[in-house]
Amino acid sequence: MTAYFIRRFILIVPTFLGVTIMVFAITRFVPGGPIERLIAQAQQMQRVEGGVSERSGTGGQSQPLSEEQIAQLKKYYGFDKPVLVSYFLWLGKVLTGDLGTSTRYYDPVWSMIRERIPISLYFGMISMILVYGVCIPLGIAKAIRHKSSFDNITSIIVFIGYAVPGWVVGILALVVFASHWEFFPLGGLVSDGFDSFTLIEKAKDVAWHTILPVIAYVVGSFTVMTLLMKNTLMDNLASDYVRTAIAKGLTFNKAVFKHALRNSLIPIATHFGNNISVILMGSFLIEKVFNINGMGLLGYESIVERDYPVVLGILVISSLLLMIGNILSDICVAIVDPRVQFE
Amino acid sequence: MTLNPLTIKKIKRFKSIKRGYVSFIILCFMIFVSLFAEFFVNNRAAIVYYNGNLFFPTYGNMKSGTSFGLDYDYETDYRELSRRFKAEKNGNWILMPVVPFNAYENDLRNDAYPPFPPSLQDKHYLGTDIIGRDMVARLIYGFRIAILFSLVLLLVNYTIGISIGCAMGFFGGKFDLFFQRIIEVWSNVPFLYVVIIISSIVVPNFFMLILIMTFFGWIGMTWTMRTITYKEKAREYSLAAQALGASNFRIIFKHIIPNTVSIIVTFAPFSVSGGIVSLTSLDYLGFGLPPPTPSWGELLQQGWSNMDAYWIVGSVIVAMTVTLITVTFIGEAVREAFDPKLHTTFE
Repeated sequence: MTAYFIRRFILIVPTFLGVTIMVFAITRFVPGGPIERLIAQAQQMQRVEGGVSERSGTGGQSQPLSEEQIAQLKKYYGFDKPVLVSYFLWLGKVLTGDLGTSTRYYDPVWSMIRERIPISLYFGMISMILVYGVCIPLGIAKAIRHKSSFDNITSIIVFIGYAVPGWVVGILALVVFASHWEFFPLGGLVSDGFDSFTLIEKAKDVAWHTILPVIAYVVGSFTVMTLLMKNTLMDNLASDYVRTAIAKGLTFNKAVFKHALRNSLIPIATHFGNNISVILMGSFLIEKVFNINGMGLLGYESIVERDYPVVLGILVISSLLLMIGNILSDICVAIVDPRVQFE
Repeated sequence: MTLNPLTIKKIKRFKSIKRGYVSFIILCFMIFVSLFAEFFVNNRAAIVYYNGNLFFPTYGNMKSGTSFGLDYDYETDYRELSRRFKAEKNGNWILMPVVPFNAYENDLRNDAYPPFPPSLQDKHYLGTDIIGRDMVARLIYGFRIAILFSLVLLLVNYTIGISIGCAMGFFGGKFDLFFQRIIEVWSNVPFLYVVIIISSIVVPNFFMLILIMTFFGWIGMTWTMRTITYKEKAREYSLAAQALGASNFRIIFKHIIPNTVSIIVTFAPFSVSGGIVSLTSLDYLGFGLPPPTPSWGELLQQGWSNMDAYWIVGSVIVAMTVTLITVTFIGEAVREAFDPKLHTTFE
C-alpha cells in the first residue's frame, strides 16, 4: 500500500513534465505571441501618429521595429533560445517558485494567481458544504422511501440537474432573475461603491452576489452525490448484516444510522479529494458567466490575451492540484475502507 | 444478422421502459429532421412549378435567376420569386420550406437593427440572433453539427478505447503495464484547460476538434474495457475456447467482445451528452468551431451578452435541455435494460 502511494507521488513528475512540455511547445510554435502583439501595436501607433508621412512615401506597412529591437524583445521574453533550452530555463525557475512575469500586465504571475485564489476558494467551499450538506440527507431519505412519490419527484428534478450543465443553468438564472426580474445582480462579486459600505452592508452585498453562482456550482455535483448516496445505502440496507441487526432487536432507525450509513459513506469518500481542484480553481465557465474574478476567469483571460506566462502558471498549479486531489481521494478510500487494497 | 434471444429480450425490456423509449423516438425524430433540414429550413424553395416544369432546387447546384425568367444571373431569391408568382397569377407556384431562411443569411431591414423578436408574420418563428440570422435555422443546423460531432467523437473514442483496452486486458503483461502508466499520466491532465489552450492556438475545424478531444478523451473507455476484458477472460467459456485451441483473434472477436457489448452500450448515451456539452462549452468560450458555423454555444454567448433578447437564450436553453434530458433518459433506460441492477429493497 505504501509502495503504491509512493509510486503515485513519483508519477507526478513525468505527468507534470509531459503536460508542461506539450503546452510550452504549442505556445512557441504558433503565431500571435507577445512579440507579434507588440509589433502590431507599434504598427498601429505609427499609423495613428504618422498618417501624413506614411502617405508621402515611406512605403506603407513598413516594419516599425528594427531588427535590433526585435532581438532585444525576443531576449526579454526568452524567445531567442530553442524551445528545449527555454523550457528548462522556465522549469528551473518554476522549481524555485518563480512562475515568471505576465507579458501583458508585467506583474509577477504568482501574485496575480494568489490574489484570485481566495475568490475561487470562497465559492468552492460554500458549494462543497452545500453539496455534502444536502446530498447526504437527501440520498438517505430517497433510499428509505424508495419508489415513493417523494422519491420519484426528487428523481426527476435531480435528473434535469444532471442533464443540463451548471453554467447553462447559470445563464438561465441570470436572464430570468437578474435581467428580467432584477432580483439579483448581473454578476461580479461586489457592487459599485463597496468600500464605502458598513460591515453589515458589505456582508449583505457579497451574499447577494453569491446566491446565483453557488446554484450554478451546486447543480452538477448534486445529482451524482445524491444518487451515489441513495444507491449505496440501498445496497447496504438489503444486505444481511442489517437484517441481522434488526432481527436481534435493533430499531430500523438505529440499524440505518449506526450500521448501514457508515458503510455507505465509503463511495462518497472517493470523490472527496477531487474537490480540491474545483475549490481552488473554480470553474472557467461559471466564473466567466458570472464575471467572477477567480482563478478560472484569470485562466480564460490569459488564454484569450495570449499571456503565456500566466497560462503556464495556471497550468502548473491546476495540474498539480488535480494530481494531488486524485491521490488524496485514494488515500481517503484507503482510510475509510480497510478492505481496499491498492496493488 | 440474427439477434440472439438474449438481445431480443434486452430490447424488449428497453421498449417496456416508457420514459426511455419515448425519449428514444423523440431523439430519432429530431436527428431525422435535422439530417433533412434543407427541406424544412432553407432559403431555397422545396418545389418550384414554372412554365409547366417542376424544379427541386433544395439540393444540387444553385439555379440562377434567369432560369425562372428573372433578370439576374446570381442565385434566385425564392422568397421574392414566390411573391412575384403570386402577383402574376399565371399558374406558376412555389412551395417554400416551413422556415424560409438558411442558417447563414442575415435578414436585414432598413428601419430596424437586429435582433428581431419572434414574429409569425416575418416567418422568424423564434426571432433572429444579433446579426439577423434566423434562430430556428441556427438551432436546427447547430443541433445537427452538435449531434454528429458527439456521435463521431463517440465512435473514435470507443474504437481506440475498445482496441487498446481489450488488448490490455487480454494480453496483460508488459503491454498492460506500459499503457497503465500512460493512462495514469493522461488522466491527470486538466482536460478542459488544455483543450482550450490548444484550440485557442490552432483554430480547429470539425475533424481537428475531434482529434484534439480524442487525444485527451480516449482513456475512459480504455480503462473500462480493460477491466471488463480482464474479468471475461478469466471466465469458463473463454478458458474453454482457449482449451479447444481457438486463436486469440477468435477468442477476442467471437467470444469476449460480444459479451462486453451490453456494458459498452450502457455508456454510449452518456458519452453522447458529454460530447454535446463539451462542444457547446467550447463554442461558448469561443474556442470551438470557427464562426459562422451554427452552434448552440455561440448562441448562448450572444444571449448572455444581450439579455434583453430573451428569445435567444430562451430557445437555446429549451432546445439544449430537451436534447440532453432525452439523451439522459435513454441512457437510464438502456442501463436498466442491458445491465439491470435489481435493488433488493429492505422490507
